[in-house]
Amino acid sequence: MSTFKRAPVIHAGGNNTNSIITSLKATSMIESKPVLPAEIISTILDYLPITDLISFARTSKRMLEMVYEDSRWVQRLQVMGLWDAGEARKRFEDALRKKREIVRMRVEEDAKRAGIGVNGNSGARKTSTTLFDAGVEEERQRKSVDAAAKAVRTSVDGFERLSLSTPNPAAPTPRAPMLDPEALLNIFSGVRSIRGSARQEYGKIYAALAPFYYDLARSRSHVDPVIFRVYRDPEQQAQMLAHLTVFARSDWAQGWRQREEKLVTMIGIFENAVLREFEQGFEAWDVDGKMHRYAHVLGVLNGGHAGIELFVQKHALFNDRLGNYMDCINQASSDNITLEPSRQFLEALSRKINEQADIIDRVFPPGEDVLHILLDKVAEDILMEYVTPLFDISHERSLPSYLKAVSGIFDQSMQFGLTLKPTKNSGKDFLTNVKSVVARVFEPHVDLYLQEEHDYFKGLAETEVDTWDKKLSQEDATTESFFMANVNRQADKKDFLSSFKKVVMMPVNVLPSLPPFGAAKTAPANRFSLQPAPSPRLSGSPIPSRPQTPGPTPALTGISSSLPSEAPTDELAAKAALMASRLEGIRSLFSIEIALDLTHYAKSSIERAGLFVRLGGQTGEEAREQCLTIFVDLLQILGNRHVKVGFDKAVDHLSKYNPREVSEHQQGVAPLVTFLELVNVGDLISQMVDVFYEQQLASPRLADRNDFLDPAVVAKKKFEQMLDERVAAGLNKGIDVLMDEVEYVCATTQAPTDYNPPHSPSGNYDIGPTKCAEQVVGIVESHTKMLTGSTDKTMLDVFNQEVGLRLFTALCKHLKRQRISTDGSIALISDMNLYFLYIRTLKNQELLEYFKALRELSQVYLIEAKHAKEMAEVIADGKRFGGVFRAEEVYEFAERRADWYTVKKDVERAMYGIGCGGHVREGGFAWMVGYIDAYTTKFYRLSGFGITLYDSKSVLAGGLYHIFSPCLCLCSPLFPTVFESPQEQRVSRN
Amino acid sequence: MSSTDDQTITLVSNDNVSIPVALKVAERSMLIKNMLEDIGESAMESPIPIPNVNEQVLKKVIEWCEHHKDDPATAADDDSDSRKKTTDIEEWDQKFMQVDQEMLFEIILASNYLDIKPLLDVGCKTVANMIKGKSPEEIRKTFNITNDFTPEEEEQIRRENEWAEDR
Repeated sequence: MSTFKRAPVIHAGGNNTNSIITSLKATSMIESKPVLPAEIISTILDYLPITDLISFARTSKRMLEMVYEDSRWVQRLQVMGLWDAGEARKRFEDALRKKREIVRMRVEEDAKRAGIGVNGNSGARKTSTTLFDAGVEEERQRKSVDAAAKAVRTSVDGFERLSLSTPNPAAPTPRAPMLDPEALLNIFSGVRSIRGSARQEYGKIYAALAPFYYDLARSRSHVDPVIFRVYRDPEQQAQMLAHLTVFARSDWAQGWRQREEKLVTMIGIFENAVLREFEQGFEAWDVDGKMHRYAHVLGVLNGGHAGIELFVQKHALFNDRLGNYMDCINQASSDNITLEPSRQFLEALSRKINEQADIIDRVFPPGEDVLHILLDKVAEDILMEYVTPLFDISHERSLPSYLKAVSGIFDQSMQFGLTLKPTKNSGKDFLTNVKSVVARVFEPHVDLYLQEEHDYFKGLAETEVDTWDKKLSQEDATTESFFMANVNRQADKKDFLSSFKKVVMMPVNVLPSLPPFGAAKTAPANRFSLQPAPSPRLSGSPIPSRPQTPGPTPALTGISSSLPSEAPTDELAAKAALMASRLEGIRSLFSIEIALDLTHYAKSSIERAGLFVRLGGQTGEEAREQCLTIFVDLLQILGNRHVKVGFDKAVDHLSKYNPREVSEHQQGVAPLVTFLELVNVGDLISQMVDVFYEQQLASPRLADRNDFLDPAVVAKKKFEQMLDERVAAGLNKGIDVLMDEVEYVCATTQAPTDYNPPHSPSGNYDIGPTKCAEQVVGIVESHTKMLTGSTDKTMLDVFNQEVGLRLFTALCKHLKRQRISTDGSIALISDMNLYFLYIRTLKNQELLEYFKALRELSQVYLIEAKHAKEMAEVIADGKRFGGVFRAEEVYEFAERRADWYTVKKDVERAMYGIGCGGHVREGGFAWMVGYIDAYTTKFYRLSGFGITLYDSKSVLAGGLYHIFSPCLCLCSPLFPTVFESPQEQRVSRN
Repeated sequence: MSSTDDQTITLVSNDNVSIPVALKVAERSMLIKNMLEDIGESAMESPIPIPNVNEQVLKKVIEWCEHHKDDPATAADDDSDSRKKTTDIEEWDQKFMQVDQEMLFEIILASNYLDIKPLLDVGCKTVANMIKGKSPEEIRKTFNITNDFTPEEEEQIRRENEWAEDR
């Protein structure tokens, strides 16, 4: 590589050792190329002042081309901010179209005129339009004419005329710029973005401004520059200086720094002079005269910052004292704070600023938003000064007053922002700006405030729950007796619960149509949520309307009639009113009152913190998060610390319950009643939380209802889940307890003579259900009804079904212990009817089948002994019992007949007859090797009430079983499994 | 790449003169720097031919690099809009550029070839200074440019650009 490259150079060097220029010149002669590569020349040109650039262009065609290159000039226009690429493109496209048109027309014209080919003609033309494409030139000419026609300053366009191809120019014009100084003031407005004409456009500007510019750069003092002599008006001078500042940007030839500095100093001198005038006007408060004029001059010069600054800095507004922040503290009672003085203060401030807004409109030119700058300063110097020490002092004095002060004054400040009037320059985002100004004042306080708010709420809630717990444990000794006492007033309680339920259902029903929160504030019904809940507490005065934790013997009579007359608009308030009047009677393991208090605290905390959400941005987001945290904490404290503990205790009580140990039996199982009450209360709390969430978090968009990751939603779900779990656990225990009680009642109250009455010849039987049955139904019914409407429907169904099934089992067990005579069967049937009727109220079809069967079963006892055959038929009739009882079971029940041993033989004979040797009866289990379907080989295994279907893979297994079944029969007690197909069995029997 | 101060490489001019240069100095040339980076350590051992530059010019260029070896590296691609960065030529450079025109052009060409942007700039500025204040005829003479305009054309261009004339 080296040899290849080096060789020719050495050769060249050898030949022309002295002058590379000559060698380059030689090449340039041949290829008409300049000395240096084009890119280097181009770089050199960048460093040249305009004058020399043009001189350079005049040296040769190639140089001309280089200098004239459009991009070179476009760049300068761009730097000055006068080049609009979009406009240029549009013009170019227009020009292209017109050019084609012109070319076409000319071709036609030429053809007509000369009658010869276009080529020859254009060649001839080229001599006169040497440097330019004919079309472009034509276009340019046309445009210059246009411009001349349009613009007034025809004479200034001298150079444009010169671009005509005619060598005869217009009469030499005197120096254009000096001619019409007025027109020059708007030089930039005439600049157009035309591709290919950037040089001309720049030329116009240069011609206008360069003389002033260079003159200024050369001048020694501020009186020298010609600019101040040509223009006498400060407005015009400012305009020209502003132009020059822009123009200076396009000057990057060597020495530009000095020139620019000169310009800057000159502008500085000029600005100072104008500012002095402005200040004089300001001091004399000559709003429409001097102030107006010089503000405009400054605006033209460089946006007028200096004037605005002066205006804002020296403003009299900052010398007035509009209010003292200590008033807020001094005018209030100890440890409290009143926000009235601050409101007055902000009102006065707002008035003042609005006055200033008018003046600003009168003084300042359009452009800069002076009011905004003034507001900034007001916020910093007045608001901050007011707010910061106030917050600090109140923080030292007491936390609640601090919380109140921060949120209250913030709200007032936002209101203050809304009362401000925008000026002409304020733009559309005036309100946003004001908001951000206010936000800036409060930003330093928000973090601390939110933290304090959260801690405050948490502390308050925890103390509340702790106090309750303490109280409860103190009274723990008395609770037992209280429960008992409570049960005594079953009737009252029922009455209470019914009215209670009615009212509880009401707010839930109106839930879908949530009223806006603002409406709630004016609603007369809510005495709690109206006042900021904690404030009365903070001042230490108890709320008279708030009921104290009720004692063990509250007056319950007449409560159900005292429904609030006016319809409550705020659900929370409705519940509050409701709770206050209604819940006094309920003394439970957790208190709705506490829950209510907690939600009130949370509500006020969230409301206060929620104000800051309006700030938007990061602070707003933080405030929003804090609101959610407060809600989550509310649920945690309410849920885990309060409700859960209460439920656990209740369940504990339940599990300890043993009916045999309780001496006195009433119409209810005490712990279960307590528990069910708790379920009601818990459900109420849950609904309350839900309403609270809807109203406080979801409606003001603090939380997103649909965002399943939202901490508030998650916490709420968790809370509800916890509640459900507790309820489910309690109900499970509750059923056990209930059944224990039922069994106990059955065992203790059912007289042996109930179903087996001593034979009375008169035949006068006591028709109607026995006392035992009535009591059982009473117990079960009262408990199941308590749950209606208070818990989840599905859970209730499950509960009812379970209760029913267990009741059924208990009754079966009970029945098998009785001896029933035909006479007694009447009583039995009425009992069974009673159960059936009760179960029907549960509206559970599946459950009903069982009790229907039970009812059918009771008829077995009605059959006279002599109808043994019919009895057998009834026993064997599986359909009659809806598949609930098998024949064997019915048979078992039949054994409970008082006269069984007399009818047994007949019945058995009727049932199995002769020739049913395959059927073996042993120890109460009937073993029948039934029919085995060899094709499907399905084995039915019946166990309890569940039926599991076994699908044997192998047909062989079935076959084998068939063969070995006799053997199996022998060891049948080991396998309590029945293979049977009742229908088949019957068929074979028949 | 370890570029200690004492590390040197050898440059060979087109008239076969080997010139030892400190690596740091030579790296003022982006061409050499990039090349060394591409090829790696091994390249330091062998002399590097600079085929377009003769000994005299190369020495001159190295002299400049020597003086400017501690300059902060220039930003690779200056935005063309920020032409304002152009500063005046510093004194040492002014003296350095006091050479005959032939040499000046050679230096410019060499710095262009070797990709030494600051030197190229200084060269260009020097040339620009030479052009400043000269009439077209003088410029032609200085730079050996042939006038290929007809008198009419010349007159036309003059008129066309009357606005730019110094006053």
